[in-house]
Amino acid sequence: MKLLLAEDTQDLNRAVTALLKHEDYEVDSVFDGEEALNSIMLSDYDGVILDIMMPKKDGLEVLREMRRRHIMTPVLLLTAKAEIDDRITGLDAGADDYLPKPFAMKELLARIRSMTRRTTAYTVTELCFEDITLNPKESVLSAHNTVSLSKTEFELMQVLMANKDTELTTEYILSHVWKNDEKAHKDTVWLYINYLKGKLKSVGSRVTILGEKGGSFVLTTQL
Amino acid sequence: MENSIYGDHLPRMEEIVRNMQERISSLREKIHSEQGMDPIEHYLARIKSEESMREKCRRNGLPETTESALEEVRDAIGVRIVCPFLDDVYTMRDYLVQMPDFSVIQEKDYIRNAKPNGYRSYHLILRSFDGYYIEVQLRTISMDTWAALEHHMRYKKDLTCDVGLISSELKRCADELASTDVSMQAIKNLIMESEEN
Repeated sequence: MKLLLAEDTQDLNRAVTALLKHEDYEVDSVFDGEEALNSIMLSDYDGVILDIMMPKKDGLEVLREMRRRHIMTPVLLLTAKAEIDDRITGLDAGADDYLPKPFAMKELLARIRSMTRRTTAYTVTELCFEDITLNPKESVLSAHNTVSLSKTEFELMQVLMANKDTELTTEYILSHVWKNDEKAHKDTVWLYINYLKGKLKSVGSRVTILGEKGGSFVLTTQL
Repeated sequence: MENSIYGDHLPRMEEIVRNMQERISSLREKIHSEQGMDPIEHYLARIKSEESMREKCRRNGLPETTESALEEVRDAIGVRIVCPFLDDVYTMRDYLVQMPDFSVIQEKDYIRNAKPNGYRSYHLILRSFDGYYIEVQLRTISMDTWAALEHHMRYKKDLTCDVGLISSELKRCADELASTDVSMQAIKNLIMESEEN
């Protein structure tokens, strides 16, 4: 995992960099906001640690610029100011977490682990069930063959596979896949279930979906 | 005029082509009146040209004889049926395999088992009672569009672009088109079911 550390206090910067490298992170270290922004534009980081008080551009400016450009990398702010209002400003500017100085190194490490968790551990890797594989990177369902899935089809398939032994109600599906979109209703779910049934068949899978319109659905294998 | 590689079989082959056309036309009309939709978007039938047949024989190391053209090569008579929906493809397949005066020599479902490059179609080789082979390709409109592009690309020499990239992107498109075909079929089924009620 690759991190960016922007901290103008040299000793602290060196110490934290060494610690992070020791923990097997790849680290780019910079000493001011401008360098921080340049690095962010050039590379893709898994996490960014920003000191707020920095020369040239402060941490909040860097953060706002990142978010304005839709760079969603998790950001941890290091704040020398411990006041609540500053923390609120930082979090609302788009930071994922903050850590007031002085801080314990092990807490820094734990917060870094926490903020980067969402991009790794929770990122679904390939899901498998019986003879099917769901590939999130390509949005593709495969068995003997491959077929593309639209975003909604993919999410529905994911939910069905993640809950493979449980019957899921139409209501559950509407809230977890369609996130209570007003335009979606039981017919929508039924249509998409039928799309998936067709796609499972088109990849030559033994898997199909049991259930009727408005009711509960579950993946099953036909022999 | 030089002797045709087909010898004196040409009239009979033309008759088979005409006859097939008539049968398919009747079937289309029948289904259209029963279901309200034409199961075929377009129908093509052709007897392979002299030149193409000779070239194919040469390419396969066969002598340019009538025997090669009619016994070894099996697409002297070629039929392509392009359908709007997936179920139409299988309806056509079911009709073709049960024609009493033709036997089914080979069937390959490249729809359920797409080729690695993404190609999808249903291939049938039929043989008339008097021994003439017909190669039939059944596909949806999407599959046909894709195949036309892929064919075009494959037969162009000296492409300056990244061929590997094109191939993988064509495969991706093939999978997306296949997905759309399935969705369209599901929508069609939904409509048909509600029409019944």
